[in-house]
Amino acid sequence: MSAFMAILVTGLGTYLSRAIFIVALAQRRFPPLALRALEYVAPAVMGALIITMLTSPRGEVLIGAPELFGLVVAAVVARTTRNHVLTLFAAMGAFWLLAYVM
Amino acid sequence: MATLRSAALAGIRDALPLFVPAVPFALVFGVVVGESAIAPWLGWSSSPIIFGGAVQITLLTLLGEGAGVAAAVTAALIVGARHLLYSVTMAPRFQGQPRWFCWLGPYVLIDQVFALSMLYRDEDPASFRAYFLGAGFTFWTLWMLCTALGLFIGPVVPVEWNLAFAAPVLFMALLVTAIDRWEKVLVALVAAGLTVFFAELPNRFGLLLGAVLGIAVGLSIDLLRRR
Repeated sequence: MSAFMAILVTGLGTYLSRAIFIVALAQRRFPPLALRALEYVAPAVMGALIITMLTSPRGEVLIGAPELFGLVVAAVVARTTRNHVLTLFAAMGAFWLLAYVM
Repeated sequence: MATLRSAALAGIRDALPLFVPAVPFALVFGVVVGESAIAPWLGWSSSPIIFGGAVQITLLTLLGEGAGVAAAVTAALIVGARHLLYSVTMAPRFQGQPRWFCWLGPYVLIDQVFALSMLYRDEDPASFRAYFLGAGFTFWTLWMLCTALGLFIGPVVPVEWNLAFAAPVLFMALLVTAIDRWEKVLVALVAAGLTVFFAELPNRFGLLLGAVLGIAVGLSIDLLRRR
């Protein structure tokens, strides 16, 4: 049940973050510093999340050569093509290939 | 009436190709829920309740790994913090719109809808409304269907394939396409490095610490530059 509570609270929070300026604060503007901070939220969170998703529940970071290779290929392909589907196939292929060879 | 219809149809037409990149997210979502102890229907309920791929995957990955509820929710909400930026940016276009639309519209204000409606040039409020809702609820319908499909397909994929690795791969794709200044590369590297450093902290607290300190580094560079 606590999982459902977590989903509900996250859903409410996500809706509020999308609605707050449209519904309530249309005249307000963000202070410039807060806007700058918001710009850094995406890179910081994505960087931290990639590591967290490769960390075991006991706290070991499980990034071997195949994972590293897959992530580098993902970064390069995403940067050059901006195509998420292609990125997924290329990175998973690179990851599987190295895991198979090793 | 005919113009409203064509505005709504234009929204639907523009939404369809943009949905393709969301399909792998739906599959990864299915894998993540399948690997957790969370019941599939419960996991799927996050699609109508949250309606945001990256936020849902973050929340369910962390819950599935046994992170505390508070830590998982906080991390997921930080991932969704960019929606504040969309809300600020879109607010002027909602002025003069009926109240019901101001309440309903934000529910489907996802990345793609934001991008599309920013490009929409028709000044007529009713046309904008039709376009916005046409695009938004096209994404909504497809996301409900594809995440449900993902729940069936995800668990069938053999565990040896390590398909869960697709989640960090997709976040890497999001990260790289979001970077438009070198400061952001530094911010991402600092956040990632610190998350490795703090990996053993309980409840995935290292994620929050790494992200917050990464943002602080970016802001410090901005402040130092301005002087």
